[in-house]
Amino acid sequence: MRETGIARSSIQPQHKRWLWLIAKIAVALVVVFAVYLFFRLTRDQTVVYRDDGDHFKYGSTGGERASGIPYSIFKAMPTLFPEYLPGKGYQSLGFLYEEGKDLPIGMSRRNFRGVDVVFFNCAICHVGSVRETPHSKPRYIVGMPSNTVNLRGYYEFLFNCAQNQKFTPDRLLLETNHVAVGEDFLNRMIFRYYAVYLIRERLLMLRQRLGFILDEPEFGPGRIDTFSPAKAYFNFRMDKAPDTEKFGVVDLPSIWYQGQRADRRILLHWDGNNISLDERNLSAAFGTGVTPPTLDRASLTRTAEYLKKLSAPPYPFKIDQQRAANGAPIYKEYCADCHGASGRDFSGALVGHVTPIEQIGTDRNRLDNYTFDLAVNQSTMYSGYAWRFSHFRKTFGYVNMPLDGVWARAPFLHNGSVPTLRALLEPSTKRPAVFYRGDDVYDQANVGFESNVAERDGHKFFKLDTTLRANGNWGHEGEAYGTKLTPDEKDALVEYLKTF
Amino acid sequence: MKDDKPPTGRWKKILLIFLVLFAGVGFVGWYKLFREENEPAFANGTERFKYGSITAENNSGLPYWVWLVLPRIFPEYLPGSGGYRSLGIVWEEGHEMPVGFTKKVVGFPRVANNCAVCHAASYRTKPDEIPTVIAAGPNHTSNIQAMLRFLTRCAQDPRFNSKDIMAEINQVTKLSWLDKILYKYLIIPRTRKALLKRNQQLAWMNRPNWPEWGPGRDDPMNLTKYFLTSLPIDDSTGQADMPSIWNLKIREGTELNWDGATPAVRSVLIDSGLGLGSEHNAKFLAQIDWLEAFLKDLSPPKYPLPVDEKLAAKGKPIYDATCASCHEAGPNGQMGKVVDISKIGTDRNRLDTWTQQAADLANSTVEKLGIRRIGLQKTSGYVPPPMDGIWLRAPYLHNGSVPNMHDLLEPAERRTKIFYRGYDVYDPVNMGFDSKSEEAKLIGWRLDTSERGNGNQGHIYGTNLPVGEKAALIEYLKTR
Repeated sequence: MRETGIARSSIQPQHKRWLWLIAKIAVALVVVFAVYLFFRLTRDQTVVYRDDGDHFKYGSTGGERASGIPYSIFKAMPTLFPEYLPGKGYQSLGFLYEEGKDLPIGMSRRNFRGVDVVFFNCAICHVGSVRETPHSKPRYIVGMPSNTVNLRGYYEFLFNCAQNQKFTPDRLLLETNHVAVGEDFLNRMIFRYYAVYLIRERLLMLRQRLGFILDEPEFGPGRIDTFSPAKAYFNFRMDKAPDTEKFGVVDLPSIWYQGQRADRRILLHWDGNNISLDERNLSAAFGTGVTPPTLDRASLTRTAEYLKKLSAPPYPFKIDQQRAANGAPIYKEYCADCHGASGRDFSGALVGHVTPIEQIGTDRNRLDNYTFDLAVNQSTMYSGYAWRFSHFRKTFGYVNMPLDGVWARAPFLHNGSVPTLRALLEPSTKRPAVFYRGDDVYDQANVGFESNVAERDGHKFFKLDTTLRANGNWGHEGEAYGTKLTPDEKDALVEYLKTF
Repeated sequence: MKDDKPPTGRWKKILLIFLVLFAGVGFVGWYKLFREENEPAFANGTERFKYGSITAENNSGLPYWVWLVLPRIFPEYLPGSGGYRSLGIVWEEGHEMPVGFTKKVVGFPRVANNCAVCHAASYRTKPDEIPTVIAAGPNHTSNIQAMLRFLTRCAQDPRFNSKDIMAEINQVTKLSWLDKILYKYLIIPRTRKALLKRNQQLAWMNRPNWPEWGPGRDDPMNLTKYFLTSLPIDDSTGQADMPSIWNLKIREGTELNWDGATPAVRSVLIDSGLGLGSEHNAKFLAQIDWLEAFLKDLSPPKYPLPVDEKLAAKGKPIYDATCASCHEAGPNGQMGKVVDISKIGTDRNRLDTWTQQAADLANSTVEKLGIRRIGLQKTSGYVPPPMDGIWLRAPYLHNGSVPNMHDLLEPAERRTKIFYRGYDVYDPVNMGFDSKSEEAKLIGWRLDTSERGNGNQGHIYGTNLPVGEKAALIEYLKTR
């Protein structure tokens, strides 16, 4: 007691004042830093676009919050792990880049807790590319099913990276130095001691849950398995699932005229398992990495409103009007009841209804992939929210789709197993048994994309083998489906469909 | 003296502050853990029967969010893929909860069961079809035992902890910080404790090499015995088929349960409700009143496939001559009255699970709860039930050991010895469910009639009829 008394009294009053001042400044600094940290670590800010089209292409659904990959790591990975990509950069997976943009179409960016993170939005699967010749500039069409993007390839790339020994803070941070927008000191610390390990753990867990999907034959570009990931979300015991439900690959669909589809109560998804546009959108949002609590509902609503009115693009090449006119009555006789009066008018007795599988006869793997058990479990999705799912239904066939912009929706059938419209009008025995997917050069004669070229400018296309499971190209054939028309009639019908 | 006053005043103030704080915490605690919210109104009686609370949430309800995520964390404890559906539970499209599962806020949303978990039947007329659900029908697909085991196995797993369960809950909803704290430190640990306790209470059914219930069956009187009395675990096993509980007006005054252990409809409802964890209070008794009224007048479902009317007409006199004396009510009718085991000759295990001592002790337990009802009794045989909606009540006999009516009209040695229960596609030829196709084997549960309690002998009535008359009798029974 005495000694402290002495010690205290030994400090001169003016020193005391200084010490006080220093202490105050120190406290003030700590407070300021704490406030800064608080704002930084609770930050949740996404890039806002004025234009609805840009919002569709680059706006966030909220998916980055739960599934985001740091922007710097996303940029660094192709350089660090080129061996897991089919070619140079994400372009080699068919991701589309607009001029002057440094993220592909379909990728959004958000500052979440102080880190810039990126993940998918709807546009990753619903923007396509069309070129007149191999030398012309591609045009990107919004709402068109992506014909180039290899989503499964992207996931496999991520999983492979995460399993690689080089997926360490040291290597990734070194590589992020070369990225234009690097990370600051604080984020580097977070990456070094926490984030990189967390990302790896999350990717490996995702791989484990999605693993059973990788047992399916390669999808190639423009195709995904829609509902197996929902089973993974519920962590269904797939080792015990019946074999019949294990393969669910489908072609990506177009998303134009969503308003008319809703008004006419056209069933959604290939098997028509839902009638609610809102639920279809919310369900698809899972594919952009959201979980119910991380969904950006307002952003998704904005996209949904935009898509209600989005129209299909007119055929960009020449149409032989005379021949098309000859095709019109054939369409009316053979197709209109199921596929609508025209590409803009979806009226028709059977449009949007399910045709039983026995009747349509197409590959049934996708149908069987969607099970009653999954449908009822989906009724718990978004539980606790006003938009909890209540419209999922098991069906027993595939839906008769309207044909708006059908020229841009090749390859055809739900599994994308028939390369062109002209081939679809042939009986299945005469349809190509093997063809290539992923090219964006247009085949005006047959209405579809080039499907006979294995490789172009170093970009290898995907060889689709229709003899593999779930790739079957049969069905939708016979007298009623136009496969017995004369070649001239078929040509006329195909010409007419260009006007849709 | 003067100086004493201010401190007392201060103490009073402090005391007041404490009281207010205490009351505040108490109120929040009550609100977050015990306040009862009424369920949303049900569209009709059938909906209320399928999804309405019987006040079991407080005693045996699982926290909704925990219930929801358990199949995602512990799929390995389920028999197959599909989450809870792999247990064969009935679930209607578009509904958040399966049939027989209630969701009610008691402080926080809780999940419990009601009568429909065992008394709602599903059927399909062909594989590619959405199942039709019949309220009050005998459930033949839900594996209640597997569900109990699933929940208790989850609780025994080290991953049943606040951290892992909260991680999964955070994937599906955003709880407030207060709810998060309550889940983490109170609700999840308490749930685990309660499930572990339940596991101990169910030790009798988890004995090694013990007969399994399989889908659509339970061991009703052992459940009653071990739940309502403190009798030691004995060597009896009495797996029994779930009964239909529609059209109860024709059962009033008859003896209920397969052995007639309960002589009144209301008593069965009360005891079953208590078994599911219902609280004895005015709400429960009001729900019992409603159930009694609803089930009395609920008609059995019509046979959904074509019936050969001519053939059925031929079957009517055969039924009158062969079956009516036992299965019809009337001055000389035996319906609803015990037939001695020596006469009926069916498997006696279920009968032997119940004793006079058990009945007395159970009655006194219920009496102590302050519930007045006609008590349980001990009998010496099984009761012939009425034949209303008999087409949907397969498999047959009290233990569900005979897959279909065709087999029941065969002598015991010619009845199917091994078949599969729990597949809901109907077999109109044999009058029952498909019990042997590849799909039935995949979905269903293998019943071996040589196992204890599964004996398919007895009830030899009609087995000597000529083949043509059997067919006519079956056709007639479809119209009942």
